[in-house]
Amino acid sequence: MKMFDYVSPRSLSDACRLLSGGGEHPRILAGGTDVLVELRKSAVPSPLMIMDISRLAELKGIEESGDSIIIRPLTTHAELAQSEIIKRHAPLLYTAVSTIGSPQIRNRGTIGGNIMNAAACADTVPPLMVLGAQLKLLSAEGERTLPMSDFFVKPYQTLAGPNELLTQIQFPKLQAGARSAFIKLGRRNALAIARLSVAVVLVKKSDGTIGEARIVPGAAFPQWQQVPEAEKLLIGKKSSKEIFAEAGEKVSETMISLTGRRWSTEYKEPVIAVLVRRALEACT
Amino acid sequence: MNSVKISVTINGRKFELEIEPNLTLLDLLREELGLTGTKCGCEVGECGACTVLFNGKAVNSCLVLAPQIDGQEIVTVEGLAGENELHPLQESFLDHDAVHCGFCTPGMLMSAKDLLDHNDEPSEQEVRIAISGNLCRCTGYQQIVDAIKDTKVSTD
Repeated sequence: MKMFDYVSPRSLSDACRLLSGGGEHPRILAGGTDVLVELRKSAVPSPLMIMDISRLAELKGIEESGDSIIIRPLTTHAELAQSEIIKRHAPLLYTAVSTIGSPQIRNRGTIGGNIMNAAACADTVPPLMVLGAQLKLLSAEGERTLPMSDFFVKPYQTLAGPNELLTQIQFPKLQAGARSAFIKLGRRNALAIARLSVAVVLVKKSDGTIGEARIVPGAAFPQWQQVPEAEKLLIGKKSSKEIFAEAGEKVSETMISLTGRRWSTEYKEPVIAVLVRRALEACT
Repeated sequence: MNSVKISVTINGRKFELEIEPNLTLLDLLREELGLTGTKCGCEVGECGACTVLFNGKAVNSCLVLAPQIDGQEIVTVEGLAGENELHPLQESFLDHDAVHCGFCTPGMLMSAKDLLDHNDEPSEQEVRIAISGNLCRCTGYQQIVDAIKDTKVSTD
């Protein structure tokens, strides 16, 4: 284990003050399921200081606010998986948090940590992105809100400054008539890093045609994004296996145009198309 | 490194400790407190051998930094049995031959304890999910699943 100083702020304002100092900024520790693994890796430079925010009560909890759901970042995956609010208003997020890691990981790992760590395989990100989540960041200088669709630069890199703390994740409840799904493909069920995943939301109009479609694949693109090329194919159409398969093919095509052909493409090319089709079928 | 003072309840006993900050909960238990029932396996949260209860919930003690337990409550496998008798889960593991080499057993017991504390009569599927973060290389799991399912939860 590396050597570092340890500090545990008593409040959010304390935490912001500690992050605002000059010199190297402290490494933030929440549930620790990623950070502790990293602290053992010899290739990663040692942080000077670990700032443990895991017991800041201000950063825990799930609430309904009008048509929105607010999740505070230190809410654990297990807490989300036990929440009736999440189950009812964001069932695809419920699926993601119920299957992430293992029971032990879900009891410690937090949704904020999953977002801020920004691994390409982060299970909560595709569901939150299709839900249109906004992130609130706080620093000693003030607060700002960013749409999650703008937040990620590349794997493990976000637009959050080293002095900023994530304080809130907010997204609108799924509207009436909206159906959603999240599918993750790993090498086994428990403790599997997603090889590929996909989150989708479909909204049907009263005449049965698709009025709105949002698709965000995980571990497929250089950074998470919707796939407008595939979404456009669905708008105004009736649900069918053929149109869903076509949308899947389009996602696969987009993936290759963004990543080029790599060692894993032979596998991912057909598989992402099928996952997208299955996710869309699960919405009917 | 600055040393850190913590106050923690482990197996019902209160400890006031001054520790190095780069200690995991696992190292604290095994190396500083001599509670070697908790096993050190992969140290990256994959195997579950180091599972303990943290405020009643199963966690990998290798993924908890020791200063994070300040003011909290930890139960290890040593806290499971009474003075002169085994815990019903331990009895059931013996009855079902669910212990072979024994290395995974403390972690399995603690994951099962978390389950049974919240669910008196779990289904086989619920048992399998509860121990999905614990690896066993000897038993093939079936005896462990049966042992947990057949544990008589005391109602006192």
